[in-house]
Amino acid sequence: MTEPLLAVRDLQKYYFEQDSFVDSLLGRDPTSVKAVDGISFEVERGETLGLVGESGCGKSTTGETLLRLREATGGAVTFDGANVFEMDDDELKAFRRDAQIVFQDPFSSLDPRMTVGDIVAEPLKIHGIPESADGESKREWRRDKVADLLERVGLSANHLDRYPHEFSGGQRQRIGIARALALEPDFIVLDEPVSALDVSVQAQVLNLLDDLQSEFGLTYLFIAHDLSVVRHICDRVAVMYLGNVVELGPTDELFESPKHPYTKALLESVPRPSTAEHGRRVEALSGDVPSPRNPPSGCRFRTRCPQVIPPDDLDIEQGTYRSVMDLRDALAVGDVNPDHIWDAADPDRADTEAFIEEARARHVDAELRGEVAGVVDTALGHLAEGEADRAGETLRERFESPCETRRPAVGEAPHPAACHLYEGSDEVTVIETNAGAAAEADD
Amino acid sequence: MADTILSVRDLSTRFFTEEGQVNAVESVSFDVEDGEIFGIVGESGSGKSVTALSVIDLIESPGRVTQGEIWYRNADLAEEFRGSKPEAVDGDLVDIRRLPKGVRRSLRGPSFSMVFQDPMSSFNPSITVGEQIAEAVEVQRRARSNPRSTRSRTQGYGLGSLLVDSLLPSKSYVDDESMDRAVELLDQVGIPDPEDRAEEYPHQFSGGMLQRAMIAQALAGEPDILIADEPTTALDVTIQAQILNLLRDLQEQEGMSILMITHDLGVIARMCDRVGVMYAGEVVERGPLADIFDNPVHPYTQGLLGSIPDVDDPSGRLEPISGNVPSLLDSEMPDACYFADRCPKAMTDCLTRIPEYELDGRHSVRCVLAEQEYDPADAVDSADAADAVDREVNADD
Ligand SMILES: Nc1ncnc2c1ncn2[C@@H]1O[C@H](COP(=O)(O)OP(=O)(O)OP(=O)(O)O)[C@@H](O)[C@H]1O
Ligand code: SF4
Ligand code: SF4
Ligand SMILES: [Mg+2]
Repeated sequence: MTEPLLAVRDLQKYYFEQDSFVDSLLGRDPTSVKAVDGISFEVERGETLGLVGESGCGKSTTGETLLRLREATGGAVTFDGANVFEMDDDELKAFRRDAQIVFQDPFSSLDPRMTVGDIVAEPLKIHGIPESADGESKREWRRDKVADLLERVGLSANHLDRYPHEFSGGQRQRIGIARALALEPDFIVLDEPVSALDVSVQAQVLNLLDDLQSEFGLTYLFIAHDLSVVRHICDRVAVMYLGNVVELGPTDELFESPKHPYTKALLESVPRPSTAEHGRRVEALSGDVPSPRNPPSGCRFRTRCPQVIPPDDLDIEQGTYRSVMDLRDALAVGDVNPDHIWDAADPDRADTEAFIEEARARHVDAELRGEVAGVVDTALGHLAEGEADRAGETLRERFESPCETRRPAVGEAPHPAACHLYEGSDEVTVIETNAGAAAEADD
Repeated sequence: MADTILSVRDLSTRFFTEEGQVNAVESVSFDVEDGEIFGIVGESGSGKSVTALSVIDLIESPGRVTQGEIWYRNADLAEEFRGSKPEAVDGDLVDIRRLPKGVRRSLRGPSFSMVFQDPMSSFNPSITVGEQIAEAVEVQRRARSNPRSTRSRTQGYGLGSLLVDSLLPSKSYVDDESMDRAVELLDQVGIPDPEDRAEEYPHQFSGGMLQRAMIAQALAGEPDILIADEPTTALDVTIQAQILNLLRDLQEQEGMSILMITHDLGVIARMCDRVGVMYAGEVVERGPLADIFDNPVHPYTQGLLGSIPDVDDPSGRLEPISGNVPSLLDSEMPDACYFADRCPKAMTDCLTRIPEYELDGRHSVRCVLAEQEYDPADAVDSADAADAVDREVNADD
């Protein structure tokens, strides 16, 4: 196999907050936002790799960091065999010609005071292109080049002397694409290039990107949150969640047989524009994406995962286990207030039974039986006595999941998923109704 | 057939701006039936939001609703005005545009309520979420006992702006009972630990939670019709799924009707019973979901459906509509079908204003293809038409 054009290894980008003088005087550690936390992928020559995930999962940070537009916290990026983070000025300059970026917002990414011609010509000027032009001035050479570029992206040479505000969103995005093409790059990071566009115009730009790729043999990293667009344009897809890549595979395979529970949930959630969609009720993921300031231990998806793995020796229905884990998470983030439970159950704060019943009604979305009910009630009893920590500890002792103690990684398989249901092997099949058995198969 | 709760007829709204007159909504008609979700879909600038704001009487200067009727079924109001304003009453229906201003305003909340796209800018950042919802409860309660009603501190923000021109009676405006109701509403929309969350400020909520809170606020008046303008556009797809489930549950529990506005045909398909497709301020096609998705007649509807990539099937090239979304400046609107410059089937008969044709009782379309086959011999080159418009526009710069 030929060497990939771009290889990203264990890339990390942390943003630091609360990094003030006072903080350092007080010896406080700056809080880090782990925007990108150890991700790896490769982009082959001529392919489009999609990077998909919800807002704040680190997609754009990944694109900007690998282009060295932001300083990486850790990891390495290799472009065409060279380590991007160790390039000297000359190498970096060459890299900046070969690797371009197109941004999401066609309204703010173009300088309103420059003409379209100057905007598209700017990278040429910066890079001193052309070095010489025979028979015409360099300026004329650039003008011709820009006219040609504008026509390639479906605009007209007449647009050269106009200003960005005279163009629609789709046209501005074409201008941004023409600018990115000016230096004849090999590689373009497309950061949500069609998200701001209306669907009819979005389709025009997607077709244009397709055509340009075949015409110039371009390699794309296509960042998007819209799964339909990703399915349409990408050869392979990496799914991100909270700073991690959770699944990576060929597009059709990933869409037709998704492995990671998050990928499954994403695909399940997308509303399909067809009559068969009517009234479809999606098993929505519970809760919100946790903050990257304080990401969950182990698997970052475990606070929402419908398949979170129970301990081996616990006999419990998957749905019930999810509810118990939700209770634990709610306790951990302070979403369970015993005062309110007492107010509703027994203002005199005597009847612990009533407290437990009220707490279950409010915070446990499942019927509990047997051992599970026993442990939960014991924990809620502690909560009734004001011992929230002990309640949490009681639940942890019995219900702790391997998903919270071990961080799954994407392996080397052709279609890896960072999930303990698949660890070590691509072959382990998910047993949906009995995650305990699946965990056993792992060992 | 279910009864009609809202019937909009021939509604037009204009903005009189410095650049000229903007025909944001042009002769729009549609009905919303009891307990249904009616969807309005279209691209940006097509007039969806202005239609919604016109219905709820929130168009502000330089805009004005310039024509049309908005019939709303309300037996009490019909009774009240049958004698004094007979032209505004038809059976149980009243034309709210012809009712006195104070009465129209009192409908916001108990009759119509609205959820907006951006929850963050729809709440006042300096008042707790609970108080803002309690205030909506309070205002509704007062409105019910005294339709001349009250002023709200949340005015200018989201639902608060529906409550303008009211009077603030005292500082301790929100009483315990309203606050309890607010907590109940927060609980109903699935906010965990609602007692505590009620005391938090908007910035302490995530986008999805704040959207739930805005829905809670909109429910405070127990509206007959909830207008949801892009309620999930700002949200991630997994959170969108939660909110869509919630809206459907609430619609069933409360038996209300929803007017759902979105640019996302997938959201329309999941949620709506009937749909109106808007283009350049007009409803160009309207009908039950299956008619619009499986038998679209208008070339714009067809083009819109052909433009969306299919998440379940990557094959094939997209078939985009050529050209761009038009300007709605009156001076630039042609005396022709507004879609003619982009339409692959434009004919000479299209170069005049097109009426709305009924295909059957429930499916209507603003396109000559309702009555005639496409005839290539009659074709006008849409590219030429577009160029002509372009030249005209460029001539003056
Ligand atoms: N306050 C205003 N002043 C002037 N023009 C306005 C005003 N509000 C809306 N318009 C114009 O009315 C037209 C319709 O706008 P509207 O907001 O209803 O579109 P929309 O379909 O809701 O779009 P989007 O999908 O972007 O929300 C547009 O041309 C818009 O520029
Ligand atoms: S590792 Fe556990 S929590 Fe994470 S996705 Fe897999 S099953 Fe779910
Ligand atoms: S009326 Fe004519 S131009 Fe307009 S949509 Fe129909 S066929 Fe096309
Ligand atoms: Mg709008």
